[in-house]
Amino acid sequence: MKIVVFIQQIVSTQVKLQGVDYFDTSRVSEDDLVINPSGKNAIEGALKLKDGHGAEVTAVCVRGLKPEKALREAIAMGCDNAIAVKDDSFYTDDPLLLAEIYVKILEKIGEYDLVFLGVEEQSTSSFAVAAMLAEKLNLPSVLYAEEIEVKDDVLRVGHVLEGGRKIVDMPKKGLISCSDSQHFTPRYTSMRGILTAKRAEIPTWTATDLGLAANDVGKEATSLIQVSLSNIVIEKESYIIKEGEPEEMVDKLLAKMKEDEVKLGA
Amino acid sequence: MKKILVFTQIREEKVEENALGLINKLLEVFKDAEITAALFGQQLKDDWIQELGKHGVKKVYAIEAPELEVYLSRPYVKTMLEIIKEIQPIMVIASGMVYGEDLIPRLAVHHGVSCAQRVVDFTLDGEDILFHTPVRDDQAMIVSKIKGEIKFATSRTGAFFINENPTGGSPEIASIDISFNPEDMIVSHVEIKEAERTVNLKDAKVIVAGGRGVGGKDNFQIIREIAELLGGEIGATRACTDVHWIEETYEIGQTGQSVSPDLYIGAGISGAPQHMSGIKAKTVIAINTDEGAPIFNYADYGIVGDMHAILPILKKKLEG
Repeated sequence: MKIVVFIQQIVSTQVKLQGVDYFDTSRVSEDDLVINPSGKNAIEGALKLKDGHGAEVTAVCVRGLKPEKALREAIAMGCDNAIAVKDDSFYTDDPLLLAEIYVKILEKIGEYDLVFLGVEEQSTSSFAVAAMLAEKLNLPSVLYAEEIEVKDDVLRVGHVLEGGRKIVDMPKKGLISCSDSQHFTPRYTSMRGILTAKRAEIPTWTATDLGLAANDVGKEATSLIQVSLSNIVIEKESYIIKEGEPEEMVDKLLAKMKEDEVKLGA
Repeated sequence: MKKILVFTQIREEKVEENALGLINKLLEVFKDAEITAALFGQQLKDDWIQELGKHGVKKVYAIEAPELEVYLSRPYVKTMLEIIKEIQPIMVIASGMVYGEDLIPRLAVHHGVSCAQRVVDFTLDGEDILFHTPVRDDQAMIVSKIKGEIKFATSRTGAFFINENPTGGSPEIASIDISFNPEDMIVSHVEIKEAERTVNLKDAKVIVAGGRGVGGKDNFQIIREIAELLGGEIGATRACTDVHWIEETYEIGQTGQSVSPDLYIGAGISGAPQHMSGIKAKTVIAINTDEGAPIFNYADYGIVGDMHAILPILKKKLEG
């Protein structure tokens, strides 16, 4: 079984970015560049299948300033191969263009059975990439997976549903996006994995390697035009107690609520 | 007349509330548009169709077929594409429930365009529709417009209010001819495991909720005790119900229950949009060790501290 996992490198959401340089990753330190949490869930999903049933897992990173860093971590977790895909002409804020780049990558990879993605691309909160990719490739797909079980010649996949969980069967050639369920909690990297990752050769593919021209997947090709991007300023007046001993903080809270005449209790 | 096609779903035997909120918002912004709803299933109830009409939908494509009994991407996409072809709407939209987020991007692909996602507001700029989407755990807002004759979008759960006094009438019921082949059913339905809803949090005046930071099953005890002291209920994020620290029935958020208490206390909850979108509280108190946690953006009051240290003291004070 050959599995391709798409991940991204993002600026950790722990880092508060300001103003219009929001996505300007060049201004953050390398330590703050991380695999998108959702992509890590996807890696875990693929590795779980590898553990139980044998698979060759290839991680591919398209977004990010230092994709090699993200990919070495993917290898350290247990992925077998890694490919960095980088080109200044890519406009990846548009899920449709990103899906188009993924299509070309898969064409170049050639043989694969399963494609894994995280449900969300945190940098643009895009949930659409997986659905768009599946549709472009006409692959059977299940999004928001919570658990995957190999059952004879099908995959039995449980996925998130409002108010519960739905179980479906899908062929072993298809696409799955993994949620942040317990089943996909990312494993830690092992010492051996880290050493393997250090030595791993990671090829970098560019638009030319994929047979893509700038006007195919560049900003001029987008149908999703960003009009503005701004920090969300919360105008809500809030009373946040940041320092003190626990008891002191609780007292302060209760005193302030009393002063504001906010009832504590039904 | 310009048409907007809204994909609607049934949840717990009723038209899903987010769709009704979305319809209300659309009527407010697009005053000259006619709202058409798509509702699929095996046995659709007239009550649901009338409910949509009451909320301002003029026409309902009520499509019944065994293949449409539950949501599956391919048959649903196929049916939606037929309706779109027939009515040529200016916009196709669904509330960003799991199915809506699965469906809308696929429909957009078939029209060669991208889509706006988890929209929390629409505005008009001349002929252009502007879609407002929060990104990066609600740290920033992107406003975008979409090229193409038909715009595709999903709205965020909990973003819009339902019209409490709708005055619409009976909608026109429409149908289309559609058939399915085995390829359409390549992903097949096995079962739906509904979370047991033994507790109704909807009417709770006070909710004390715990998140990942609770750290384990036993630690929910203190949350229970405080909720009891305040005469309220307990709640949790999906992270907690997922690992069975607490029963699924207590889940609040996009995939759980929507609540509107007077007081909501969130302990060890980071405040991810998926959870917070289910909460409309008069007063929010947040307790979290991470000062940067998004929940503090929603909070009226907050303590940056360890809930395991804070809650026992709070309990003592409440008892005293």
